[in-house]
Amino acid sequence: MRIRLDPWPVDMEGGQLGLKRFEGELIDIETPRWAAVAPRPIPARLGTVYVVDGKRRMESRVFIEDGDGAAGMGGFGAYVVGAVELCPHGTRPATLREVRAQRLLAHAPGLRVDPCLLSPRDPHTGRLQYAPVVADSAEPLAPLHKLQQVMLAAEQELSHGLASRVPFDEEDDREALTALTIQDGTLRSQNLGGAVVGCVKTMQTQYLPPDRAGLLTDLKPGERTPILHMRYENNRITRFIWYVRLCEAAFYQHPMSGVMRLEMYAPEEPDFLPPIVRTVANVSGPLLCRLASQPYKDPRAPQNLIPTAALEHAMTRAMGSADLVTRRLRAHIARELGVAS
Amino acid sequence: MVLGTEDATPVSFWFAVTPGASVGMDDLVAVRTQKPDGSPVHFYGIVDHVRTRHEGVTFDSDVQDVVAGLLPASVSYAARVLVTRVSPENFIPPQPGDEVRHARGEDLRLALSADKMKRSFPGGLLADGQVLPLNYQFVNGEQGGHINISGISGVATKTSYALFLLHAIFRSGVLDTHGEGHRTRALIFNVKGEDLLFLDQPNREVDPVERGVQAAKGLATGRYDLLGLPATPFRDVQFLAPPKAGAGDVIVPDVEQRSGGVTPFVFSLREFCQRRMLPYVFPDGNASLNLGFVIGNIEEKLARLAAGDDAPYLTVEDWQPDTETLLSEDVRFDDMGKTRIQTFAQLISYLEYKLLEQNDGEGDPKWVLKQNQGTLRAFVRRLRGVQKHLAPLVRGDLTPARAAQYRPDLLKAGVQTSVVDIHKLGAHAQSFVVGVLLRELFEHKERYGRQDTVFVVLDELNKYAPREGDSPIKDVLLDIAERGRSLGIILIGAQQTASEVERRIVSNAAIRVVGRLDLAEAERPEYRFLPQSFRARAGILQPGTMLVSQPDVPNPVLVNYPFPAWATRRDEVAEEVGQATEDAGNDWLGL
Repeated sequence: MRIRLDPWPVDMEGGQLGLKRFEGELIDIETPRWAAVAPRPIPARLGTVYVVDGKRRMESRVFIEDGDGAAGMGGFGAYVVGAVELCPHGTRPATLREVRAQRLLAHAPGLRVDPCLLSPRDPHTGRLQYAPVVADSAEPLAPLHKLQQVMLAAEQELSHGLASRVPFDEEDDREALTALTIQDGTLRSQNLGGAVVGCVKTMQTQYLPPDRAGLLTDLKPGERTPILHMRYENNRITRFIWYVRLCEAAFYQHPMSGVMRLEMYAPEEPDFLPPIVRTVANVSGPLLCRLASQPYKDPRAPQNLIPTAALEHAMTRAMGSADLVTRRLRAHIARELGVAS
Repeated sequence: MVLGTEDATPVSFWFAVTPGASVGMDDLVAVRTQKPDGSPVHFYGIVDHVRTRHEGVTFDSDVQDVVAGLLPASVSYAARVLVTRVSPENFIPPQPGDEVRHARGEDLRLALSADKMKRSFPGGLLADGQVLPLNYQFVNGEQGGHINISGISGVATKTSYALFLLHAIFRSGVLDTHGEGHRTRALIFNVKGEDLLFLDQPNREVDPVERGVQAAKGLATGRYDLLGLPATPFRDVQFLAPPKAGAGDVIVPDVEQRSGGVTPFVFSLREFCQRRMLPYVFPDGNASLNLGFVIGNIEEKLARLAAGDDAPYLTVEDWQPDTETLLSEDVRFDDMGKTRIQTFAQLISYLEYKLLEQNDGEGDPKWVLKQNQGTLRAFVRRLRGVQKHLAPLVRGDLTPARAAQYRPDLLKAGVQTSVVDIHKLGAHAQSFVVGVLLRELFEHKERYGRQDTVFVVLDELNKYAPREGDSPIKDVLLDIAERGRSLGIILIGAQQTASEVERRIVSNAAIRVVGRLDLAEAERPEYRFLPQSFRARAGILQPGTMLVSQPDVPNPVLVNYPFPAWATRRDEVAEEVGQATEDAGNDWLGL
């Protein structure tokens, strides 16, 4: 019997390694030869890397009765999407981009809701502005889902807005990779055409068949697997995927610790590998090794990247203290109802 | 902007420095905050602490990731302010987010409480080249008086700063506003080297040094111009020095570097007795009760002996000195068969005779007053000990006219500054001169009141007024410290360590100045008027930089002051041969 540790602490839900079997379809698109691909140096023309993430928080669930006598559920929520802009060659200080909290009042359909403006008692502390958004249903969880949807859409828009274009047909291969977006987590919804690579920190699904999974154990830090074209069994979502190792696994850990799955948008037809995708795959090893965190700084190291951790921190801060926001909401309602707070 | 992550209080607060701006320690700043009713409250203060740090990072090692361009972080640049003034005096705290500005112009005047000062003079330059005003009413005794300067010798340049202050008082025009200019004087005791004997000579290094500083600090004009002071030496100075040892009619000042313009001074033997100078010969006279009694008794006897005549020497009838033991001494007898006591040595011999030899070793009972022989011997032994130093100073072999000529006159008409050189005297003789001259000044002022202010500059206060023990000179200094300001005597005292000086002298000083301090010394209670951060800094102050505390401003302010415009060594004197040589000749000839 052999026992080894999952790399992540036990209080992280699910751990890093789940290893369910994948039932979809995988196609060798880069090369039929299944072997480690050595890292390539980051090309000089790749001048900017953006690390994008989003965060949301439901601040208060509410019951709304509008002037027409209709009533329903809703919620005051806040979300932030933001990016860390950095130079992969280390020539500029990393900076935060667009880390600003947006607030919305998601509510059940059919209600007439006005925007909410919460003025503070102390003029220095700023105003909170909640824009009304209609949720998809009257379900109690619908406002939360709406908040999530709005956040993901904003994240998507930010990611693609910052990155270089990826051409998806064979005629147009001249566009170079100058800006790359690393998005935290798997890619969502449809492709907007930017050079966006999703970093999946956990391995809940083992996409590779058992005869190929062994390569993941053998990868050296910075090395990657060949790129595969993947299609889910039950829907039509397609992705290019590959694996990268960020650090050597410790002897007590599962040998797949430190391995990360990357994905990029792929056309449905598995007949063309855009050159930018191959470039991204080639630089992903050295780039991510550089961005990888240390275990003493982050329990999800090395997968939780240094800029991502900083971004999460900044986003939490941008949303403000939940306690203070709740208090402001209470004071606002007190004023609306004419009750002394 | 005032920080919200640190406490902001009416006496101290932190503020964040916006990118592109720069704030250093000692900068003066102003903040305006608003009360709920809309009325403004202004805070003025001095920056006593500045720091930068990475914000938003957790680990010290994150700095590597930040520099490598991986981790976004902002540099937080913050400064702490010690409030010097709140106007109006509403002690509410400033609000986080209030804007902090550099205090300039009118703000600066308010920050340093200059608007409260009816009359002020420049006390030095702030770090950014603005002038620190000192309230003259806290110097001349109207509201307070006395200045005390502490600091390590050599690097703290206490004397230089004291002279700079005198220069500023005399030449800034603060005196003219009340028509005091011609009556205010200074008395400076030169205790180290012959540094102060060239105060009236221009310094040839001042121009190059000041030009260099002006360029280094990027000042628009020279420091003297900024201060509104002329870069000129002292005017109307008289130099007094004790004469060289040796009898004879020629009295030559005992100085080496300066050849002319120094007046020797002597006291006549009769003055010594009449004016009861004997106690000042014994700086530790009160150490034993018996000795103090003997001194008081002899002082009284000598005063009676000297009464009724005005010749510089004393005459006694009851003493025939044993000429064999006094061969070297030039004993003279006058017509009446009386013995003339003409030298200090003879006076001691006479006292020895009266106390120990008369009546076969019993002494004159009226003089001895049943005191123990041992005490009497101790008395004589101590007198003999200082004989060498005092003999040139106290003499009776001069004609009355010459004795009057060489009597030190500190308040001579036409003299603004008197420098008394005592550096060559022994410790006891130094105390004697300081004590006698100060007492004379004090008694004069007691008689005539505060018509004019006299500044007394005295270094090494710890020697004259030590914390422990009593001495006549300490009494004089205490009198000056406690009552002098109402009489118009202002003590500009300096010492290495304030902790070793009589507390009442230091605590009576309205203006306190600290130069470079030993760090252990800086933690003593005498320096509690300095905030903690200033105490730590006192250990690294450079020469020419002082921390100045005055009653109008609750926190000390760091100032620098210009290089002296007067020479402090002979080789600094700008050459003007001719006049000096002529003066020297006249001096030798006694003209």
